[in-house]
Amino acid sequence: MIPPIFRDALVFASLLTMLSTGLTLTYMTTKVPNFAHGNFATVGAYLTLALTKVLNLNPYLTIIPSLVLGGLTALILYVLILKPLLDRGANYIVLMIATIAYDMILYSLINIFADFLSRTYKVTTRLFILKSFDFKLLGQPGLFITAPLIAILIVLALYVLLNKTKFGIGMRAAIENPSLASVVGINVNLTYAISWFISGGLAGIAGALMPIWLMCNPDVGMRLIVSIFAASIVGGLSNIYGAFAGGILIGLAEVLGTGYLSLEIGTWVIPYRPIIPLLIMAVTLLFVPRGLTGINWRKILRRS
Amino acid sequence: MALPVELTFIIDLLAFIGIFAIIALSLNIEFGYAGIPNFGKLLAVAGGAFFVGAVPGRVLAFLYGLMDNLDYVGDNTKILFGVNKILSADAFSSIALLLISLICAASAGAVLGFIASYPAIRLKEDYLAITLLAMAEILRTIGYNYEDLVGGTKGIAIPDPFRWVGGELRYTVATITILIVLGLIMLYVEFLARSPLGRTLRAIRDDELSAEAYGKDIVKFRMKTLMIGSAIAAIGGALYAFLSGSVTAVGFDRVTHTFWPWVMVVIGGAANNFGVLLGAAVFVTLRKVITFYKDLFKPYLPFDVVWMEYLLLGIILIIVLIYRPEGILPEKPSRTLSMKRINEIMKRVKSEEKE
Repeated sequence: MIPPIFRDALVFASLLTMLSTGLTLTYMTTKVPNFAHGNFATVGAYLTLALTKVLNLNPYLTIIPSLVLGGLTALILYVLILKPLLDRGANYIVLMIATIAYDMILYSLINIFADFLSRTYKVTTRLFILKSFDFKLLGQPGLFITAPLIAILIVLALYVLLNKTKFGIGMRAAIENPSLASVVGINVNLTYAISWFISGGLAGIAGALMPIWLMCNPDVGMRLIVSIFAASIVGGLSNIYGAFAGGILIGLAEVLGTGYLSLEIGTWVIPYRPIIPLLIMAVTLLFVPRGLTGINWRKILRRS
Repeated sequence: MALPVELTFIIDLLAFIGIFAIIALSLNIEFGYAGIPNFGKLLAVAGGAFFVGAVPGRVLAFLYGLMDNLDYVGDNTKILFGVNKILSADAFSSIALLLISLICAASAGAVLGFIASYPAIRLKEDYLAITLLAMAEILRTIGYNYEDLVGGTKGIAIPDPFRWVGGELRYTVATITILIVLGLIMLYVEFLARSPLGRTLRAIRDDELSAEAYGKDIVKFRMKTLMIGSAIAAIGGALYAFLSGSVTAVGFDRVTHTFWPWVMVVIGGAANNFGVLLGAAVFVTLRKVITFYKDLFKPYLPFDVVWMEYLLLGIILIIVLIYRPEGILPEKPSRTLSMKRINEIMKRVKSEEKE
């Protein structure tokens, strides 16, 4: 028998990896921390809610539309906002402000959609959960199996894309040295736009799966953003596999840490859960600011 | 004596312009002059308000001997009734309470700014921005859940330093106090902008490497800036608490106390204190007008009007960033000495050389 807290931890960690890899991908290409990333997932979560409640679809089937919508949401941010700013020579602080402004726009749109949905279709859009739509697999809740599986598939797909395809190698070149890449005929702008689409799409997948497990509210993305950033920073912000590892670490630490502490010192610690990713992030920034992937593991292993 | 409705509206407007102008000016020091993206403005504002919610009431209750086995948060209404009764008869203590609380809140804000920025102060600004945002979220979480601080979601009443004025005039006096503090802060930030510190900050903002080459300790200056900025923002938060007579953790969120000040600074004009003042005034007035006419739109929209407002603000901010990034009043070049004065100095130097 698997204790429920391990299930919670594994599902949450898997969802977090989908978000942190996307955040890191856009940070690598455009060099801007995207403060709107959490709300890409919320957009997916609300699309899933609408499709399941209004059209009676299974939430797993909404992964694809949610991916597309998340991707488009991210693409709009890049094409309509960040690209014009970059063309005008804006520095990255201005870009960050723009992502915060976009976050606000998404947040209001999500709320408008939620209000519309609840008034027109009488659907609960605040604090909703779609757990009853999940299936059972080997006596376990379906998401406990599928979420880690999807997370691993995503990171494998990213590995293949970045290392085995011509496009991916071009993208890596565009990340390393944009001007040199454009000299050899790589369309840097297109690769960046596609990286934003992928990033938003991954967040969309996480958003589609989120309501199956977590209580969702319009501000769920804004709450998650601290954990997402913590995961990406622990991973080093410049390596998507690092972001994957960071997502697992932060996800497990957050859920298991809160679980054990609530058993040890009392249930009053549960609301303070967001402090755990923040503490891990602060320690990382103080001692290994370049993250897990910035550590020279080989050197440490040789020394010991 | 009852004030006419129009006057009440204007006084209320001025009070909020004052508070938000203080917060926006503090952000202007950090972002406008020093180029630090403080996305955790909420931290210092809430810090100042939480300090005022938690400390002065307890100290006064202890000094007046009203604590006898009462729980400060649980029996808050009862204790504060006693404290306010004594305060309302004692103008001197009330003013002392206000001044001491503001100074202590500013110090608390500075300490919070220091702690929050410490993990990332040596790193690139984007790490700093993320860390500050996360720290602000943590303080908010603590404020919501740790009831001993400011009563959690229920909120807490605080000692009222304006009660001695009495009745209708209380709010007016509070507003005048806010405007006086704003005036002092405005003088200070203008002085700061023209001081060597202000010029150093701008040098660091424009070219970190050259500033460092001239021997400026960037980390130290950044830390100093964040502490000054957080102290001022904490004064804004504390004044807000004194104005409303209570502190509610739910009243402090990322939208109101981080995003709005950013809108004011960017639209008004970063690194121009008058621009930021104008930005705050325009922003608060617009919001007030929208809230005033909110009920008119209500029947026509299938959603809450407040989201429409957020949506418009986000779009306006992005349009300003793209088409007029310098804001309404752009930054002015630093003042130099007049040509006459420079010629005088050159003459003097030359005559000294001859000798």
